[in-house]
Amino acid sequence: MIGVLAGFFLTPLPLSGFQHALLLLPLSLSISIVYKAVRCTNVRDIPKAALALWVTIVVGMYAVAIGLWLLYRLFA
Amino acid sequence: MAGLLAWIVPGLGHLFIGERARGLAILITISVTFWGGVAIGSVRDTVHPQIRKAWFMAQICTGSHALISYKWGQAVRSVPASPDDDTLAYWKSVETAVVYTGVAGLLNLLAILDAITRADPASQRVLATTRAARTRGAR
Repeated sequence: MIGVLAGFFLTPLPLSGFQHALLLLPLSLSISIVYKAVRCTNVRDIPKAALALWVTIVVGMYAVAIGLWLLYRLFA
Repeated sequence: MAGLLAWIVPGLGHLFIGERARGLAILITISVTFWGGVAIGSVRDTVHPQIRKAWFMAQICTGSHALISYKWGQAVRSVPASPDDDTLAYWKSVETAVVYTGVAGLLNLLAILDAITRADPASQRVLATTRAARTRGAR
């Protein structure tokens, strides 16, 4: 059991370009949760506020990525 | 004391001052982010102060997590790797892992400062006054 768990941290994940782009989702969710856990006065507000911030970050980051990709396609 | 506990184990500072839900949210989120990052890039190269000093400064803010990962990585690195060793990371995975663990550290720095502020009664009075002034201003 411990060997299986240790093996999970010993072997790196072979990720493709698209899978790297998807890794933005959990990272931005972590940032949203911790930031709102620190900022919100009432603990009950954390899930809703974190979800709203997560959606904002994800939409914003993918919009910037698509914009930059379009610029690259235009000038390349 | 709350700040020190928050550094040793993320979220413990908030649990110490009685902020259970907040502390658990920080504890689970930062731990999952850090070890998720280590799982992506492998323990061998993710926390490596000799190669990435600046990132290590961010990673060390997770306290025990970074120290365990560093020690574990040192033990793995002490065994020479062969070219077909599957514990050697692809460079992109390591970069992603370093970002995950570094961000976890910086988030814990935010949580440490918050725990210190919440534990200090004088800071709490200032915050309460500011919030009250803001509420009056909004009306």
